Amino acid sequence: MPRLLSSALALRRDPRILKIPPYLSLLCILVGAVWLFLLPLNEYSRRTYISENALLPGQVHTYFGGSDQNVLRAYKQEVNSLVGKSNVEINDKLESIVRGLGLKTARQNFTYHAAGRTFEGENLYAILQAPRGDATEAIVLVAAWENVKHEVNKNGVPLVLTLARYFKRWSLWSKDIIILLSPDSIAGPQAWVDAYHDAHDSSRVASLPIKSGALQGAIAIDYVQENRFKSVHIVYDGVNGQLPNLDLINSVVNIAGGQMGMGVALQEMWNHNDKYPDRLRTMLRGMLKQGLGLASGPHSSFIPYHVDAITLQPFGEGWQDEMAMGRVVEGTFRSLNNLLEHLHQSFFFYLLMHRERFVSIGTYLPSAMLVAANFTIMAIFLWMKSGQLEIPAASTTESSDKDDAPTATTERDLFLPLAIVALSGSLSAIPLYIFNHVPELALTPFFYLFLLINTLFPITLSLIITTLFSPTLQQYHLVKSFSLLLLGMFLSSLATLNFSLAMLIGLLSAPLSFVKPSSSPVSRIVGFVLLNLTSPPAVLLASAAIWGLNVGDILREAAVAWHVTGTYSAVVVWCVWWPAWLAGCVCVLGRPGRDQEEEKSVKKA
Amino acid sequence: MDGGKVTVGRTAALYAGVAVLRLAIFTLLPDLPDLLTGRVEISTPVTSFKRLQEGLFLYNHNVSPYDGGVYHQAPLFLPLFSLLPNALSYPIFTYFLYIAIDLLSASALWKIADSGEAGSSALFTSPRRERRWNGFIIAAIFLFNPFTVATCLGRSTSVFTTCAILHAIAKAVSGAPFSAMVALSFASYLSMYPLLLLPPLVLLCFDRQRPERANKSVVSFAASHVPVVFGVLGLLFGMSYLITGSWEFLPSTYGVQLTLSDLTPNVGLWWYFFIEMFDSFRSFFLAVFWLHLSCYVGGLSIRIRRQPLVVLTLLLGIFAIFKPYPSISDTSLFLAMVPLYRHVFPLMRYSFVIAAVIMYASFLGPAFYYLWIYAGSGNANFFYAITLVWGLGQSLLVCDLMFAVLRDEWELERPEMAGKEIRQI
Repeated sequence: MPRLLSSALALRRDPRILKIPPYLSLLCILVGAVWLFLLPLNEYSRRTYISENALLPGQVHTYFGGSDQNVLRAYKQEVNSLVGKSNVEINDKLESIVRGLGLKTARQNFTYHAAGRTFEGENLYAILQAPRGDATEAIVLVAAWENVKHEVNKNGVPLVLTLARYFKRWSLWSKDIIILLSPDSIAGPQAWVDAYHDAHDSSRVASLPIKSGALQGAIAIDYVQENRFKSVHIVYDGVNGQLPNLDLINSVVNIAGGQMGMGVALQEMWNHNDKYPDRLRTMLRGMLKQGLGLASGPHSSFIPYHVDAITLQPFGEGWQDEMAMGRVVEGTFRSLNNLLEHLHQSFFFYLLMHRERFVSIGTYLPSAMLVAANFTIMAIFLWMKSGQLEIPAASTTESSDKDDAPTATTERDLFLPLAIVALSGSLSAIPLYIFNHVPELALTPFFYLFLLINTLFPITLSLIITTLFSPTLQQYHLVKSFSLLLLGMFLSSLATLNFSLAMLIGLLSAPLSFVKPSSSPVSRIVGFVLLNLTSPPAVLLASAAIWGLNVGDILREAAVAWHVTGTYSAVVVWCVWWPAWLAGCVCVLGRPGRDQEEEKSVKKA
Repeated sequence: MDGGKVTVGRTAALYAGVAVLRLAIFTLLPDLPDLLTGRVEISTPVTSFKRLQEGLFLYNHNVSPYDGGVYHQAPLFLPLFSLLPNALSYPIFTYFLYIAIDLLSASALWKIADSGEAGSSALFTSPRRERRWNGFIIAAIFLFNPFTVATCLGRSTSVFTTCAILHAIAKAVSGAPFSAMVALSFASYLSMYPLLLLPPLVLLCFDRQRPERANKSVVSFAASHVPVVFGVLGLLFGMSYLITGSWEFLPSTYGVQLTLSDLTPNVGLWWYFFIEMFDSFRSFFLAVFWLHLSCYVGGLSIRIRRQPLVVLTLLLGIFAIFKPYPSISDTSLFLAMVPLYRHVFPLMRYSFVIAAVIMYASFLGPAFYYLWIYAGSGNANFFYAITLVWGLGQSLLVCDLMFAVLRDEWELERPEMAGKEIRQI
């Protein structure tokens, strides 16, 4: 054992050992990226299964139909007459209908300000008290007046009203059923859920006059389509990439696909052949949505409160009618009604690649962790490198006989590197503040202005640093080491919360591992140009061009998400990625030890 | 003292900067202090400000503060805090009190640093002692340490213990053994565990006696000073009895620490272990855990007899890991003492790893706690795993500092071995 230790210690001194880390770090990135593409294979993904036995999905007869269809038609008539009216007028009418069913109703006002706009409205909700319950638990049925694309939910609202009337007749509910009719799909549900959990800012969002018990689940219906539909699209992405329990999705897949025979689609994959390319596409779309962390429907706001929620959207040309959709909801509610405790058995961290195939966190997390580990490896490597004596090549022969030379470490000058890293970190508050507080019209001009400043600023900063402090190579190594250490640390913490965002940022900032200061101006310029191509604003511009979106719209959505739903992706981009990028630019543009070289040349002359 | 005026100006600037920073956070982010007060990393059952409020409410309504089993802190906090205006309506007075306590701790730390005790004690003078930071930097490191700032914002009552411990050490190095003993009794009264610091503190006082009043024998020195501690403690207990009207505070404050009856999660290693424990083994393992915590005192005091301040520092590190209810406040106290040993930093082998582990743990800890408590997608094992990493980081620091200090001593005995690779056998 001591011999092994001493040989390990001897290995530590070997100069070759210091050559390995950059390759190791590159390997980490490659393995991490390739890992992701292996996941859709049969060997790495698993079939979904229902984990919670109490759910018993598709085990009950559903009776929604028959005369309820006439009721639905009548409600549809009423709802159609309300299209184009104001929020309050709509709520007046809907409230009278719901109250007529014998449910307790209440309203809630909310106002949000974001990107120079005001989002205000009034939520209407009703509580169906459980005949067999004690008001300690509740399930929510949501229909927003407008969906996320601002189309009027012409079939969803009447269907929810009809279902409320139908549910009222049954005596088997053991959980209260809350009907929530919100004016829009994002702000309304958010205000309602916040207020339900008393987590709202009461200056902008009113408190709820009546409440029920702990929310156990929520289903939102987004039914815009007029004709008969083919199958159901499940939207399951929550705010900040949080997901509902997989059992809920499985139950709906089981009920809609198995019992009703209508099929289920995920992530806008309307035709899924369950082959590798389609699985990969589903998974990547899911990861992108998760990474952006935006709300994707009325259900999204529920998930951060640990209320499992999904939105159901009928799509396609088929022979299913509103009654079939109602039966899917009925079946799902019957399953949720069976729950003895909160959904907890199945997975909360998963990537779905088909309605019946998923990978769980244990399988996919290593890829993000490997990408994050690459930064840590480089940070440790640079720390070790910065501690070594900078022995000029000529003197290596002299020192070779002294075996203790390589273990001797030089004093590290930590102050300047720490100051640079702290400066780039604190500057990150500026773009974060600007892009979240500028009015909508000014967003695009500000963005282009920022893009310009962002390109010029590192050059200026680097110039200031080199002229004022003339940092040595060691200090540049330390700047990079600290900034990569922070980046690796933030990304590995983030990977546990939002895997996709961590993976995305990790891959985009991977070039930062390999930048280094160089003495030749050409490589400096090339390095700087390459880094600028992967800068946060440049990536934003490129992705806007790829998806044919307007940069201003993206920024507006981000600002709205920040203020309304509390999406933290902007913090990650500006306060984690951008400072690391800035520190990388300072390193690439750095001219280490210029003064020392000059001194040498002066001495020689 | 290099230029008294400059030092005074710099001191004032540092203290003003610290006070302004904390006040700015208090006023600009009014929700942050309450958020931090609720964090398990900052507030433990025996230091939480929220629980203090509860105890205060009961006390002001003439109910025993220990009724209800929420309040586990020393009774003398109650008259102190009831002198202040209500913390909810006029929080600014509480903020001023906590800022003042931080500054008092920093001034004690400053004295310790300027005494040079860390580099050259009565029995040992390090050849590297010239490489050190002055009191200004040491105090600045302590005051701007994020853990210290977070503790101050979270208004954990452990800052009072920190202050008392630092003053005990400061008095000891400046040759005032009686005051040191009194300060230590206050620390022990507030948190109990500082009583374990008594042996090294007595040694430190003995080493730093004023020559004109020197006592030659350790035993007689200890015999004349240890009773002071117990006398003051007895006095404090008597006052507590008068305030609360019963001895109920003893089981509710010290009893809770001894028996770990409140199993609220914290950054330490005890809570998870005792949640899992079968009741029949509980008392045995409580004894083992306490024995483990206290067994370091004798060993370290004997082995590093020549540098009692090192013993105190290492013990503070060990307590921050193995105490029943540790928080980041204990870590901040340990990290405040570590920079005194700048002269042995080059001998430390894992400084970067330690810094990385501690930073990783302090970011992953809240993330995992969030997954466990709020998102519900993780479980208790997530958080416990990260507290293990946190403990690992700190124990690495304790071990590495001990290694460096011992190596520093050893190189004085064996000058020919300086700079050579050594191996533990």
